[in-house]
Amino acid sequence: MSSVGVPRHVACVMDGNGRWAALRSRPRTDGHRAAEAAVIDVIEAARGAGVQWLSLYAFSTENWSRPGGEVDFLMRLVRGTLRRHAPVLHARGIRCRFLGVAYPRIPPGLARDIADLMELTGGNRRMTLTVAFDHGGRRDIVEAARSLIRGRVRAEDVTEASFARYLPYPDTPDVDLVIRTSGEQRISNFMLWQVAYAEWIFPSVLWPDFRAAHFWECLDTYRRRQRRFGGVPAPAALERGHR
Amino acid sequence: MSAPSPLSPAALGPHTLLYRYSQDARWGLAVVRATVLEAAHPQIGAALIDNSTFMAHPWRRMRNTLDSVRRMLDADEEVRVREAARLNRLHRRISGTDGQGRPYSALDPEARAWVMATLFESTVTLSRLSGESLDGAAMRRLYGDFRAILALIEGDADALPATPAEFWPYYDGMIAGGLENTEALQIVLYRLFAQVPAPPLLRGRPAVWAVGRAVAAPVATAVIVGSLPEAFRRQAGLGEVPGAQVLSRGVHVGTGLATRLLPSSWTRTDTMLGLLDPGRADLGPNPVSSLRGRAGRAAALLRLVAPLPRESAAERSADRFFAEVLDQTGDGHLDWPDLAAMAREIATRLDLDEQHEDRLYEAYAGWWRELLAALDADGDGRVTRQEYAAAASSLAGPALIRVAEVLFDVADKDGDRTISAAEHQALFRTAFTRDVNAERDRYTPGEFVRDFLAFMSGRQASAAYDSLLTQA
Repeated sequence: MSSVGVPRHVACVMDGNGRWAALRSRPRTDGHRAAEAAVIDVIEAARGAGVQWLSLYAFSTENWSRPGGEVDFLMRLVRGTLRRHAPVLHARGIRCRFLGVAYPRIPPGLARDIADLMELTGGNRRMTLTVAFDHGGRRDIVEAARSLIRGRVRAEDVTEASFARYLPYPDTPDVDLVIRTSGEQRISNFMLWQVAYAEWIFPSVLWPDFRAAHFWECLDTYRRRQRRFGGVPAPAALERGHR
Repeated sequence: MSAPSPLSPAALGPHTLLYRYSQDARWGLAVVRATVLEAAHPQIGAALIDNSTFMAHPWRRMRNTLDSVRRMLDADEEVRVREAARLNRLHRRISGTDGQGRPYSALDPEARAWVMATLFESTVTLSRLSGESLDGAAMRRLYGDFRAILALIEGDADALPATPAEFWPYYDGMIAGGLENTEALQIVLYRLFAQVPAPPLLRGRPAVWAVGRAVAAPVATAVIVGSLPEAFRRQAGLGEVPGAQVLSRGVHVGTGLATRLLPSSWTRTDTMLGLLDPGRADLGPNPVSSLRGRAGRAAALLRLVAPLPRESAAERSADRFFAEVLDQTGDGHLDWPDLAAMAREIATRLDLDEQHEDRLYEAYAGWWRELLAALDADGDGRVTRQEYAAAASSLAGPALIRVAEVLFDVADKDGDRTISAAEHQALFRTAFTRDVNAERDRYTPGEFVRDFLAFMSGRQASAAYDSLLTQA
């Protein structure tokens, strides 16, 4: 780890786009559009602070039930954002990954761009950005259980550590810090397995207004909490060590 | 080097001179040049006009040709024999009568010998033009390789003269009197180069491709024409292009120099194919995979920074579907060779054995009968764009469902009634998801048939099926 007290893996639940737009009497889609600036700011802030793993919760399986127009808009927005920032992300040494990209539902053009971005940045090591896109935490666990059963793994051989190897991107370390914006205090089926020992922070700011300064503030809160419980590492931290 | 009988299948393999040529990307130019000479052969020309997809899908056609050559030079004799058998089955389905009522067949020994002759002569000529003439011994070896390939598919090599010394009179005789100014030749020379669709890498960026092509097409034509024998040019009415021969020589010497100066792995056929068709992941492990990784990343970046193509809707118009998927031969109407080309592409990709191949063709033939009955309003034995547009919705009949079922069966290699990730990869060259848990998704017959129908009835574009049936 590069600097003391910096969480290795930070995850952001990007909540509040709709409310941000509603407060301004603008369509929900404007809120999503405004979220782009926050995403880029946070990626840069995390990289600068020495965070090695950053996960963003962009679009959950439940979101498919939103009105069709909004889903289409989101797909186009994600595609545009991804394409606009791909060269910069690559130049900054950021490896990009997408969690839960179920094949048939994603429009082919976006699927292609996602594959391209993953291929382009696959060799980068400075920071790994995981975008949880069309992701459901329970589904990942169910899928892992299925592959265990298909692989005919004996029940006695299934441990927490071996189970985790069947999750998507098994090299991802446990999440140390989750930031959920807009004051909502729910998990919402997000990376359920990985957030088991995470610290949670719930800033009241809405995601489109979230900026680097807010992010640093969250890191600071995290550091103070660590100091409060610090000295002796918690048992959970030991458990995490060999993953 | 051991010396088995020079014409036995054991004579082929990675030790041959031809193998070395086939690994060099420049050899693609020789293949294109040979195609021009082949198209002038009356039988081959007629077969190309009626059956070939090279007009509409030249890149795929080139890839398949290079794949076939690769298999026939494989280290494993079984692979070589199998490929020859597959090629023979494919050729057996290609026969008919040309515009003047003369019968043609892709199994004709003379015509097949001419294919080998043009490939040999083109390889020799392009080597000479790029300043690396073959000496007598090398020429004998290379000629022996081509005869061995002819023997592998034909059973003997009697249609080709026994030695290079006897070959040249035969070749000159063919040029002087055995060829015609066929329709296929005209099309290859004047339409193919000018209209060649973008390779998969540049699909979706028609403007970039059109500009590049506007410059490259005349140059390519001049380079190819300039290297053709003079007697042939005269006969085919190919006027003297001023400076063409200088240009031709210049390009060949230039590529020759480039080959010597660039790292050898850059100019390998595999690398080029990987660049042209970046979705492809089946080229196998080899020393250039790291380079292909770099080339793949460059291609990925290029695609990401290029402006988005305007049409991004998943729905495609009936018109576009007709042109991109159904009309495989690119002649503007739908007839049996179009559907046969789809069956052929699938059979080639899955490397099907005879029994499965027959089932697939039968299913497609059934679909063709159904299409004719439903769409051919004027009863002329083919479906025009207008007939298709008038009744496109009735495309998904029971015979098409049958095609989907057979396709599922032949793609399900292990017969477990699901399409696994590996089987999906073999058919579509892409996995379902790019997740590390490769086994997480499986296709059931129901899902497979549903997706196939959604694609084939033109309701839904699909990256997977596009890679199989659409990409040039």
